[in-house]
Amino acid sequence: MTVTANTLGTASRTSFYEGRGFTAAMIHPYAASCGFSFGMQNAGSWPITTRLADWRAIGADGREVPFRLPEEWDADWERLGIPQAARIAFRWAQFQSENTFEPGDWIMGMAVLKGVPATPLRLVTRYRDNKGDHEIVLDRLTCAQD
Amino acid sequence: MTAMPANQPAPALRLNDDDGKAVDLAQHGGKVVLVNFWASWCPPCRKEFPSLGRVRKLFKPSEFEVLAVNVGEEPDSAFSFTGITDFPVLFDRDSKAMAAWGVRGLPTTFLVDRKGNVAYRANGGREFDDPDIVSAIRQLLKS
Repeated sequence: MTVTANTLGTASRTSFYEGRGFTAAMIHPYAASCGFSFGMQNAGSWPITTRLADWRAIGADGREVPFRLPEEWDADWERLGIPQAARIAFRWAQFQSENTFEPGDWIMGMAVLKGVPATPLRLVTRYRDNKGDHEIVLDRLTCAQD
Repeated sequence: MTAMPANQPAPALRLNDDDGKAVDLAQHGGKVVLVNFWASWCPPCRKEFPSLGRVRKLFKPSEFEVLAVNVGEEPDSAFSFTGITDFPVLFDRDSKAMAAWGVRGLPTTFLVDRKGNVAYRANGGREFDDPDIVSAIRQLLKS
């Protein structure tokens, strides 16, 4: 299993989602959150499952910060009357709350934290395969400064 | 691609192409059909898209087809990326087809066999003219 994480800035996310039908004001709460673009690939021989709710950012002060799930954002978008096409694009650009992927499969998506951890932070990603539960820790990450 | 359990009928798929003409998976009964769910804003979708045309050219139209299902976009947006293709590009504007097929991310691709069963599935991008995938299609054509 391989996991990559790239820090996402406010400007790049604002631009991306404006292209999908959001206004800058609508997407600002999301775009201004500490966020990453994740990629995961199953290079093994067994299916793997992962739940974003099990992942954590651990700040330099030891405080744990969970991710805000796509469903929570979608509930906000529905309440705000965001157009359906924009909501669909948003939903599928996210790292999904639950993923099952077979050998050779890979997934990508964006996710944001519920708070701002003290940096540098560690990202603890968790997954399960036929042998049980595992963690991959990505170290010395930061939130974007823009 | 991952082999699926046997005798799993493909969900219905009937969507409009960019000319507004309805295209139905059922019209392609007897063929092997590659069904690809994608969006132009999805980087791995963009990367693999040319390989859909390449694999399409390896087989006769009477035996194999590609259906590229765009999710959530306007035809103009999709066309600005795809240009003219040799295969139908269909529009799942409300993502209901995506839900019916159990798609949980983009891109996701299926191979449907000649009897209309889902034979293979891939989550994430592929190069569809990869020898292993071409071999899988050839095997499906024999059965």
